Amino acid sequence: MNQRKSKVQSPKPKGKGQHGSPDCGTVGPRKLSLNEWDGRYEELIRAGLHEPSYGGPLRRHVLLEGDLRLLQLRFDNSAAALRLWNFLLTENQRLHAARAQGEKIIGTMKDLGTVPVMAYALPGLRAFYPDGAWWTPCLMECSDGLLQQAEQIGIDASFCPVRAMLPAFQNGEHFPRPDALICSTGAVCDDFSAIAQRLEKMGFPIVWWEMPRRRRPDPGEAACALPGDLCAPQIQVDCVRAELERIGQVLSGLAGQPLDDNAFVRGIREANKVRRLLAALRRVVYTSPGAPLPALELLVAEMLAIHFCSDREETIGVLTDLLAEAEARLRRKQFVVDEAAVRVFWVNPVADLRAMNLLEDWGGRVCGSDYMFTHALDLIPEDLPPLEALARTALADPMVGSTRERAHRIVADCRAGRAEAVVISRIPGASHCAREGALIREVVRAELGIPTIELEVPPICDAMLPTLGSRLQALLETARARR
Amino acid sequence: MEVFFTSPWVPTEWIKAHGLEPRGIWLARDFACEPLPLAAGVCAFANAVVRLAERQAGSAVIFTTHCDQLRRGFDTVAEAAATRVFLFNLPVTWQTPVAERIYADELRRLGRFLVGLGGHAPVVAVLVEIIMQRSRARQRLLEAAPWCPARAYAEAVARFHLDGSVHLPPEDGDHRAAGMSSIPLALVGGPLPQSQMPLLEALEKAGGRVVLNATEAGERSLWADFSLIQDTIKLWAGHPERGGDSLSPQIQAHRTGDKLSPPRKAEFDAAVPVERLEDNALDLLVRGYLANYMDVFQRPNTRLYDWLRVRLTARQVRGIVLWHYVGCDLWRAEAQPMRAAFGLPVLLLDADEAAPNRNTGRLEAFLESLR
Repeated sequence: MNQRKSKVQSPKPKGKGQHGSPDCGTVGPRKLSLNEWDGRYEELIRAGLHEPSYGGPLRRHVLLEGDLRLLQLRFDNSAAALRLWNFLLTENQRLHAARAQGEKIIGTMKDLGTVPVMAYALPGLRAFYPDGAWWTPCLMECSDGLLQQAEQIGIDASFCPVRAMLPAFQNGEHFPRPDALICSTGAVCDDFSAIAQRLEKMGFPIVWWEMPRRRRPDPGEAACALPGDLCAPQIQVDCVRAELERIGQVLSGLAGQPLDDNAFVRGIREANKVRRLLAALRRVVYTSPGAPLPALELLVAEMLAIHFCSDREETIGVLTDLLAEAEARLRRKQFVVDEAAVRVFWVNPVADLRAMNLLEDWGGRVCGSDYMFTHALDLIPEDLPPLEALARTALADPMVGSTRERAHRIVADCRAGRAEAVVISRIPGASHCAREGALIREVVRAELGIPTIELEVPPICDAMLPTLGSRLQALLETARARR
Repeated sequence: MEVFFTSPWVPTEWIKAHGLEPRGIWLARDFACEPLPLAAGVCAFANAVVRLAERQAGSAVIFTTHCDQLRRGFDTVAEAAATRVFLFNLPVTWQTPVAERIYADELRRLGRFLVGLGGHAPVVAVLVEIIMQRSRARQRLLEAAPWCPARAYAEAVARFHLDGSVHLPPEDGDHRAAGMSSIPLALVGGPLPQSQMPLLEALEKAGGRVVLNATEAGERSLWADFSLIQDTIKLWAGHPERGGDSLSPQIQAHRTGDKLSPPRKAEFDAAVPVERLEDNALDLLVRGYLANYMDVFQRPNTRLYDWLRVRLTARQVRGIVLWHYVGCDLWRAEAQPMRAAFGLPVLLLDADEAAPNRNTGRLEAFLESLR
C-alpha cells in the first residue's frame, strides 16, 4: 500500500468510542480539497466523531510526513473517507508499532493477495507489500528522492515506478526491515522480477515461489475451476499448492507454530469478509446511476484487499463504514459524481492518484475496474481444503494468464457496470503494458464496440495535464456522442 | 516440419525425437532482418518472433515464458495460429521439486503438441541417440570456445541450435596470435540473432576480442554434462562395463541415411524395464536441462554468476559488454551487480538498430578506457 517515510511517532491512542460518522449525515456528498478538509474535520469533531487510534486531521500527513500530493487531491467529505485515508497513510507507523510490540513483519511481494491470507492466519505475523512503495514518489511529489536514488543504482525510468522500493529498503526510512521477504516469481512482470532480484543482491534474502503462467487445460487433461470463471490444469494447481505449502512452512517457522487447517480456514473466512464487503461496495458504487463515492476512494478501498493495509480487522471496519456511507447516499440519491457522467471502465492502477480526480473533473466516472488484482477481489472457495482453495485463487491472478482471458473478464465487468468507454492506463516502464493494451482494446472493441483509449500516467502527471486532458476528454466526448 | 524455438532451454532432443526439425531462432532465415514498426515499449526481438510466427505458416513456433514480452507476444498470435504456436513454461525457480515437475509436464505437453503437428511419439533408442549426439556436439563446441574467432563461434553455436550440426573453422594458431594484442572481453546478455552479429566485428575493430560469448545462444547455452551421458548409457544398456560404451555404434547401425529408425527388439534388453524406458528417458532430459540451464531470469540467478565468474577469471577478461534489447529489464538490472560481483567495467549496449553509430562510439570509448 502506501510505504512513505515514517518520521512521526507511533499512532496516538485515542478513546475507544464508536468509530464512524457522527450525527451530521445531512451534509451532501462533495469532494473537498485538503484546505476544505481542515474545516470539515473540525466540524466532524464538534459533532462527536470518534476516531480509531490512527485518526486525526488529514493535513498532518503533509506537515509531518511530507505527503505533498495530498494538497493536489480532492477527497470525499465523509467520515468514512477520512478513516480510509488515515488508515492508508499511517501504514508505516502501524508497522513500526507492530514491530515494537514483538510482531514479525513479513514483506510479501508481487502475488497481490495470496501470501498475506496465510500470514494473517498465524498469530504474531503482519504482512505488507513493499511493492506499495511505488506510490511514495507520487504522494511525496518526488521530494523523497526515491526515484532518483533508484536511478543512481542503475534502475532508471525504463523500469516501472515500483523501483522506488529499492532505495526504500536501502535507507530504511519508510517501512521497517521485514523479518522475511517472500516473492512470487515465474509468470510475473519483468520489472518486478528484476527489481526484486536486485533487492536480494543488496542483502535482503528472498524466499522465491514459482507462479506458472496459467494456461487452459488441454483436451482430456484434468482441469480445475478457478475463481473468476477461469480454469486451469490440475497440475498447475498442484504445483502452486506445493509452493504455498512450502511458504506456509516458512511462515510457521516465523510464527513459532504450525499453520493448521483450522487456523487457515479461519484466515480464509476473514479474508472473504473483506472481499464480500468490497464486492458489495463495488456493486453499490459502480452500478448506481451516479457515483455515491469518488473513484479515488474506491481505488484505495480496493487496494485494501491485497494485504488489508497491514491490519485485517481494521480493514473490515473501514470498508463497513464506506459501504454504509455509499448505501446511505444511494438511498438519498445523493451522488458525488452525477448521473450525466460518462461511465468508464478503468484498467490498471495509476501511478498518480490525481488521475482519478481528473477523470471526474472532466466528466467521467469509474463504473468498473481491473487494477491488476481481480483475484484478490474474488472469494476464496470455502468448500475446499484451504491450501487448494488459495492455490486456485492465486492462479486466477489476471496477470499470470493470457491477456485475452483478462480482456474477457473486463468485457463482462464492463457489461455489468454499463461502461460507455474503457481507459487502459499504462504504467510507465512496465513490461506488461507494451502489448496488453492493444489486445484488451481489440477484444473490447470486438465484443462491446465502445471507445477505448490507452494513456500513460506518470507518478506526477501535472506536466502531462494538457495531453492527458485532451485524450481523456476526447474519449468522453466520443462516448457521450454515442448516447 | 520445422519447429522454431526461442530459448536454448527448450530441449531440441525432444523435438527431434518426435520426427520434427528443431530450429533455433537466432540463425533462422530472415529472422529479425527487417526493421519492424514497434509500439512504445515493445521489444524488437519479441516482435520479430511474433512476425516469424505470423509469416511462417508452414512451421511451428515455440515461445517461452521467461520474459514478459515473449509471453505476451504469444498472446497476440495464439488465436490466429493456435495449432502451430506453443508457449513453453520455463520455470524460473530451480531449487525445488516443483520446478522439475513443471518442466517435466511441459515436455509431455510439448510432446502432445508435436504429435498434433504430425510428429510421432519418440522411440526411446532414437531419443537416447539424439541426446548423445547433441551432447557430443555441445562438447565439441565447448572445446572450441577458447580458440575459435568470435564471429565464427557465434555462428557455429547458432548453427548448432538451428540444425544440430557443428561447423567450426579449422583450428589455427594464427587466430590466437592475431588477437593477443586486443583486449579480452566478455559479451554477456540476451539474444544475438544473426542480424546483430556484426557487433562482434565492431568490437574487434574497436580493439577488443570477445573471449567469452555469454549471450543467449552463445557458449552459455552449451553444457557438457557427463553425468547425463553416463545416465543415458545406463538407461540404455546398463553400466558402461556391461556394454554401454558401444551404444552409439549399435544405434548408428540403424541409420538409413540421415533418418533414424527404431531399434531392434534385442536392444530393449536394457538395465531399465522397457515400460519405464520412455519415462526414464524423459526424466533424463528434464534432469539434464534443469541441472544445467542457467539464465538471467532464474530466481535466484546465482547460477549465471557462478558460471560467469569461473570463465571470466580463466580467460582473463578485462571488460564486460552487457548486450540487451531495448527495454529488457531482466538484463539491464544486472549491470551494477555484475560490476560489483566481478570487479570489471561493464558497458551496457542496446540493440537499438537506429543508432549503430552511437554503439560504435560507445564501444570505442569503452575499449579506450580499458587500455
